[in-house]
Amino acid sequence: MVSLSDQQLKKLLSDPKTLRKGFELVVRQYSEQLYWQIRRIVLVHEDADDVLQNTFIKAWNGLETFHGDSKLITWLSRIAINESLDFVRKQKNVEMVSSDDIDTGIANQLLADDYFDGDATDAQLQEAIAQLPEVQRTVFNLRYYDEMKYSEISRITGTSEGALKASYHIAVKKISEFFHRHD
Amino acid sequence: MNQEEKYLRSRLGTDNHFRVPEDYFDKLASEVMAKLPEQEHPACIEVPLLYRLRPVLYAAAFLLMAVLSVTAYLYNQQPKAEQTMAAASQQQSADAYIDEYTDYVMFDNTDIYSCLASE
Repeated sequence: MVSLSDQQLKKLLSDPKTLRKGFELVVRQYSEQLYWQIRRIVLVHEDADDVLQNTFIKAWNGLETFHGDSKLITWLSRIAINESLDFVRKQKNVEMVSSDDIDTGIANQLLADDYFDGDATDAQLQEAIAQLPEVQRTVFNLRYYDEMKYSEISRITGTSEGALKASYHIAVKKISEFFHRHD
Repeated sequence: MNQEEKYLRSRLGTDNHFRVPEDYFDKLASEVMAKLPEQEHPACIEVPLLYRLRPVLYAAAFLLMAVLSVTAYLYNQQPKAEQTMAAASQQQSADAYIDEYTDYVMFDNTDIYSCLASE
C-alpha cells in the first residue's frame, strides 16, 4: 500500500467529497501502528481489536475537533492511548486479580493465550509492565519497544518531557529490580 | 542508556511476542468503515490560517527583531556625536562673544598685548 503524507491525508479529510475515502486511507495506513500501542496496554487481542475500532469511531465523530495543528498519527495515538487506559481502569474495577494467584495472574493468562507465543520470562515482563502506574506504563511501552522520542511521547500524552524521562527511568528501575529478585 | 536499561535489553530483549489472527489487518479497514455513521454534513478539518502562515510570521518576527536591534545600536551611538558637536558649538559661541566684546570696546591686538605686558 502506498503511504500518503500527513498533508495529503489532511487535504482529503478537509474536503466533504473525499472525506470518507480519506478516512479509510487513514485507517489502512495507521491501524497497525495504533494496534500495537493498544495491545501492549490491554494485552488480549480481542480487547485490543475492540479498543482500536472504538479509537477510529471516536476519531471519525471528533474530526471537527482536530484542527490540523499536529500530525494525524499524534492525534490518533492520543485517542488510542486514552481509550486503552480507560479500558484497563474499567477492567480493574471488576474483581482484582492478585499476581500471587498462580492460576489466574496476568503472566499465566498470557501463557494460556493462543495469541501470545512468549515464554514464562516474557509473560512475567508483561505482568511487571502491567503493574506500573499509567504514565510509567505508557512511556515505557512507547520508549522501550517503539523507541519513540520523548518530544513525540510528550505530544501524545500531554506530559512534559522532563516528567516522561523521570517516569521512564523509574519504570526501567522497577522492572529490572523485579527480574533481579526473580533471578 | 543506563545500566538498568542495558540489563533489561540484554536479559529480555524487545521482541514482540503478541500475535494476531491471520489477515486481521487486511480485513480491519472494511470492518471499521462499515461501523462509521453516515453524516449529512461531514465534519471537516480546518487548518487555521494562523497555522498555515506560521513560516511567514516567523520570518516577519525575525526581520522586525533585526531592524529593532540595528536601530537600538545606532541610537546608542548618537549621544557621543551630539556631545562632541555641542562642545564644539559652545567653544565657538565663547570665541564669538570675546570677538564681539573686543570690537565693542575698540581694543585691538596691540592694546591687548600692552595691557598684558604691564601686569
